[in-house]
Amino acid sequence: MRRLQAHDERALGELFDALAPWVVGVAVRILGDVDEAEEVAGDVFVQVWRRIDQHDASRGPLVPWILSIARNRAVDALRRRRRWWRKAEQWQRGGAGELGVAEPGLALHEAAVPGWPVHRAVHAALARLPEEQRRVVVLAYFEGLTHREIARRLAQPLGTVKTRLRSAQAKLSEALAHVKEWIA
Amino acid sequence: MIDWLGMAAPPRLPRSELKGLVLGRVRAARWRPWRLAAAALALVALGGGGVWASRTIRALRAERDDLARRAAALGDTLAAFIHSPATRLIQVPVSTGGRVGSVTIFADSVGHRWLVRCDGLAPNAADQAYQLWFITRDGMRSAALMPMETDAPMVTTLDMPRTGGPVLGAAMSIEPRVGSAAPRGPMVFHLVL
Repeated sequence: MRRLQAHDERALGELFDALAPWVVGVAVRILGDVDEAEEVAGDVFVQVWRRIDQHDASRGPLVPWILSIARNRAVDALRRRRRWWRKAEQWQRGGAGELGVAEPGLALHEAAVPGWPVHRAVHAALARLPEEQRRVVVLAYFEGLTHREIARRLAQPLGTVKTRLRSAQAKLSEALAHVKEWIA
Repeated sequence: MIDWLGMAAPPRLPRSELKGLVLGRVRAARWRPWRLAAAALALVALGGGGVWASRTIRALRAERDDLARRAAALGDTLAAFIHSPATRLIQVPVSTGGRVGSVTIFADSVGHRWLVRCDGLAPNAADQAYQLWFITRDGMRSAALMPMETDAPMVTTLDMPRTGGPVLGAAMSIEPRVGSAAPRGPMVFHLVL
């Protein structure tokens, strides 16, 4: 972190090696397009480099901060797209991949990817959520929908959506309380 | 802890060149302010130089055009003066400093003006000058002081004196550099028309 703040390019290279698979992963999950996701990932690391001073370590670890940048950029890109609904439909049709289970053809070995235990923990926490709560979390986080849009999409009252999200967040926080920063 | 949710997505290795591209962008961004400043300075310098060059060229062109107009007008005037039937040509051989030269006078009897050209006159000593004189009925009147420092032809125009009666002739003498009220030095020529 200190090396990044000192604008040490090698530190950025090391951060890229450790985090790029996750940044690209979340962007691919949101955008459904590898090229576009890599473009977003490139922007994310450049933004991290430029705005590393804005990260307040007392408010949270670095990885979630970077992932939130990636998520926000990917969602912005998604919203810019005219094909928003078409993509959303494709994801819905994908069904099994909704939670982003690692696909077998990616040639990524668990040991080769730093942070894999965290991925498993997060994935397990999501999987333990009741279906209706998991669904609103996925729609909010990975598809960038507002509460009102989620309510429309699921044909549920807005209050119900908010309640489900609140419950899901509480359960996730509890389940992931033990997760610590995993990069040096 | 929703902040970690991003880790729920399966990891995906980026193409190998992405890291290089990111580091390249970072490096480029790092030097961008210097490059912008240098480019801005270069632009200012180029712009300033361009404006200066443009103004100078415009001024020089205007001066050249003005000189060309004046030269053409002088040429016309001179041709009209020399070739006028009222102009009388008088050529006087002279000897100065051991060399032979000539003084040519174009005397315009209508315009009452003389054009005098001196060729082959020896340059004056530092404290001397040639002085031209009109010979009038009332005596010699100074027409022009012509200090000559180089060995080159010399041309001057002279208006006829308003007093002293008609001009009867011309003379040239070597006088002090400041000129004399009446010829005292050696006479170069003395000609009665």
